Amino acid sequence: MIRISRLRTRVILFFVAMLILVEVSSFALINASNSRTATVKIEGELEVGQRVFGRLVHQNAQVLSQSARVLASDFAFREAVATGDTATIVSALVNHGQRIGAKAMLYVSLDGKVVADSLGGGPIPREFEYPGLLERATITGAAASIEILGRQGFQLVAIPMRAPLHIGWVVLGFPVDSAFAADLRQLTSLDVSFFAQSSQSWYSLASTLDEAGQRQLQRQLPLLAIPYATHIIDIHGSEQQARLISLTTTGGRRVVAVLHRSLATALAPYEQVRKTLIGLAILSILVSIVGSIWIASTITQPLSTLAQSAAQMEAGDYTGEVDLHRADEIGSLAYSLNHMREGIAEREKRILTLAYQDQLTGLANRAKFSELLSAAIAAACPGAETIAIVVMDLDRFKYVNDTLGHAVGDHVLRQVGQRLSNVVPSTGCVARLGGDEFAVLLTGATAAKVVDYAKGIVAALESPVLYEGQPLDVGTSVGIARFPQHGRDARTLVRNADVAMYVAKRNKSGLAIYNAYYDTTQQEHLSLLGELRRAVEQNELLLMYQPKVSLHSSNVSAVEALIRWRHPDKGLIHPAHFIPFAEHTGYIKVLTHWVLKEVIRQCGEWLTGGLKLQVSANISARDLMNRDLPDQIAALLAEHCVPAGLVCLEITESGFMEDPVHAQKVLDRLSGMGLRLAIDDYGVGYSSLSYIMKLPVQELKIDRSFIAGIVANPDLSTIVRSTIELGHNLGMKVVAEGVEDSNGWDLLGALGCDDAQGYFMSPPLEPAALVAWMRQHDGVDRRDTAWLSSPPAMGGRGA
Amino acid sequence: MRAAWAADLIVNITDSGGHPVREAVVYAEPIGRPVPPETHVPHATIDQVHKRFVPAVTIIRSGTEVRFPNSDNFRHSIYSFSPPKVFTVKLYSGRQAPPVVFDEPGLVVLGCNIHDQMVAWVVIVDTPYLAKSSADGAAVIKDLEPGDYKLSAWYPAATFAPVVSQVHVAGEPVTARVQIDVSGSPLPLVHP
Repeated sequence: MIRISRLRTRVILFFVAMLILVEVSSFALINASNSRTATVKIEGELEVGQRVFGRLVHQNAQVLSQSARVLASDFAFREAVATGDTATIVSALVNHGQRIGAKAMLYVSLDGKVVADSLGGGPIPREFEYPGLLERATITGAAASIEILGRQGFQLVAIPMRAPLHIGWVVLGFPVDSAFAADLRQLTSLDVSFFAQSSQSWYSLASTLDEAGQRQLQRQLPLLAIPYATHIIDIHGSEQQARLISLTTTGGRRVVAVLHRSLATALAPYEQVRKTLIGLAILSILVSIVGSIWIASTITQPLSTLAQSAAQMEAGDYTGEVDLHRADEIGSLAYSLNHMREGIAEREKRILTLAYQDQLTGLANRAKFSELLSAAIAAACPGAETIAIVVMDLDRFKYVNDTLGHAVGDHVLRQVGQRLSNVVPSTGCVARLGGDEFAVLLTGATAAKVVDYAKGIVAALESPVLYEGQPLDVGTSVGIARFPQHGRDARTLVRNADVAMYVAKRNKSGLAIYNAYYDTTQQEHLSLLGELRRAVEQNELLLMYQPKVSLHSSNVSAVEALIRWRHPDKGLIHPAHFIPFAEHTGYIKVLTHWVLKEVIRQCGEWLTGGLKLQVSANISARDLMNRDLPDQIAALLAEHCVPAGLVCLEITESGFMEDPVHAQKVLDRLSGMGLRLAIDDYGVGYSSLSYIMKLPVQELKIDRSFIAGIVANPDLSTIVRSTIELGHNLGMKVVAEGVEDSNGWDLLGALGCDDAQGYFMSPPLEPAALVAWMRQHDGVDRRDTAWLSSPPAMGGRGA
Repeated sequence: MRAAWAADLIVNITDSGGHPVREAVVYAEPIGRPVPPETHVPHATIDQVHKRFVPAVTIIRSGTEVRFPNSDNFRHSIYSFSPPKVFTVKLYSGRQAPPVVFDEPGLVVLGCNIHDQMVAWVVIVDTPYLAKSSADGAAVIKDLEPGDYKLSAWYPAATFAPVVSQVHVAGEPVTARVQIDVSGSPLPLVHP
């Protein structure tokens, strides 16, 4: 809102500021122009006033001189003057003066003395103060000037008087008084003031101004130094344009007239215009404010609506349609926004589908599953135990995928998904977590019911998947975890179900419910890695050797090295507790190397001691992935001067099946080096016979699960028999593991098995104990060393 | 009747530049002797022609009767405020004006109340020996008895202050030379 209101404020500010700028500048221009016009106008008025003033003074002088002439030629007056009749002269002067409006009437005799004076302004006779005026009058016939008589200003006119010869002068004075000034102002519309200067000080003679104005003007007279130029003065606080006219300068006396006009008076006509302009400016600014608020609102209001709509979309709500039907740009923006909203909603729906659905099977994916699980957990009533998850993977999917291709793999996954969906109730949710890993979310099911479902799932995947008529056996292991006892959040539940699944897989039990014990195992595994490293470094590992005894001769034909871990706290640890972990973490590589090194060292030691004993070591499927393995073995053999034929490597079926092609290459190399190779735990895997046939293997070890029940179960003995025959037919020596009693020993002997290994003969023994046992069993000295160079398995007994 | 020993006095009048001055008046007064008595009432005429007094300067013996004919076809109104003879003749034309007797010696300035530019000077003396200079600047005083004379000469000026000299006449024509300052005269000096 703040942003939008700021936009509106900006719009308003811009328009108003621009208008104010325009108004103010135009106002200033007009004002300046008016002021200039007024100044020029006043200048003109002063010019005219000055001329009118001059003309008026001149006209006055004309009138006066006419009048004076009349007087001078009046016979009676001449007679009075000629006869020196002063009283008559004075009365004639007064009379005449009244007739023409002159205030001062003087008669000056030829010797320059005032003989008669209508003003009575001094003793008679006395010297006339302005002889220059008389001289000019004598020469030109009439002379005029403005002078001071007493302390009053007069326009004086002098006319020479003849009777008939020049006998004197008639001087008439027209007063320069306020009436004169007023008269001038009426003619010129200028203020007029007259000042006289005597002995440096000015005094006012007459003025159109009041007393105070006259005093102000008088003070400013020095400013008007240059006559006939325009000056600015201040009267009553108002600016005036003024001109000074010098009227006369006689004998230290000076008379000036000041014409001036108020600038304000001149500007008065413009004042109305100015007021109108100000009014217009204020009005237009108000209108522009209202207008820009309106315009800004028409932009910002819909913008605000659009912004709200956009915010709604941002929050993921795509339902609100922007309701702005306008023909302008805003309207089209709203239209676009609506379209965008629909587009985004649709795309988001698609993205959600992609994000939450497994594209191959159409089932929910891991993300969706996690969300559903979390949602179920969030919605679960406290105390209720109605959420359970079932996690599974396919036991032999990798094999199917690798050997038959991805198309078949995908087909299998789709089929599995289909079967799961059929088994699971509609309240449950089937998801593919990735690869061959599936999960089922079950809500509202009791523990027993969940187990039933899990069993249903296992059963559903028991039957082979058909691909183009070919049955593919996948099988599954299932892990179950329940909320809340197996985890209070989705992550933990899935992880624990996974743990349970691995347990089930390891135990080949089909399904397992999570148990906190597994978790402990897990924790142990974590610390195990560190401890295992320490075990290798601090030599906590040791090898025990279990003899393989020939069923034909009862002699020890070879020994199998079995790793043991003498843990400082836990005592002797069975390899089943750390080998799978080592395989899982890749640490098996280190262990295998340690085992091979120890085996070859031990073999070399025995050999040095005169005991030529073939030793078997187990290597895992992961070891077959190690390209350096053959070189490492070669180096160890060389180091301990052990012939390759004394070392046999035992590999489980699964070891071959992980990556058959690569396994074949490594085995070929090892065999080429002269090492003996054996297939361990034969019978539990799913090795293809045709594949085994291609391998350079000299020995086949039948898994203990077949041997344990061989005496009691005739079916097993049949399998063992056929296996022995198969091994012999392939040119291999056949070894039975897990021989526990004499019945087994006898039966295996009867079945034609070559060697037997088991507690019946001996448990795994430490090297010293082994040597002791051997000495007791058949005597070391009696060892048939020739057996080593021509092994019975290579004899091709059953070939 | 004329005495056989009587002689003329020729007065040559010049200005300061030596130029002859006309319209100057001269008169001689016997020193130590009375002037001869009046035998008849003398007459003089001052005409008014083209708004001018003609002649402009007149010299007469006291008691002379002066006539003021008007030769213009309009009226004049002459006056004098001069103490020897104050008079006015109101508007008149032709020969309506009565003659005026100037019986006091002195200078009378005549003016016209209508035409201010008209001025005439009348010099009244108590001697019959008087003359006015002609264009060549010579004034001839006739029939002087032998003897010493005070000779006065004047040309119109602001005041009546003649140039005075003394001459002796002994039956023979006598020539006198008088210089007059005419500058500032109201009557402009006209050179031939």
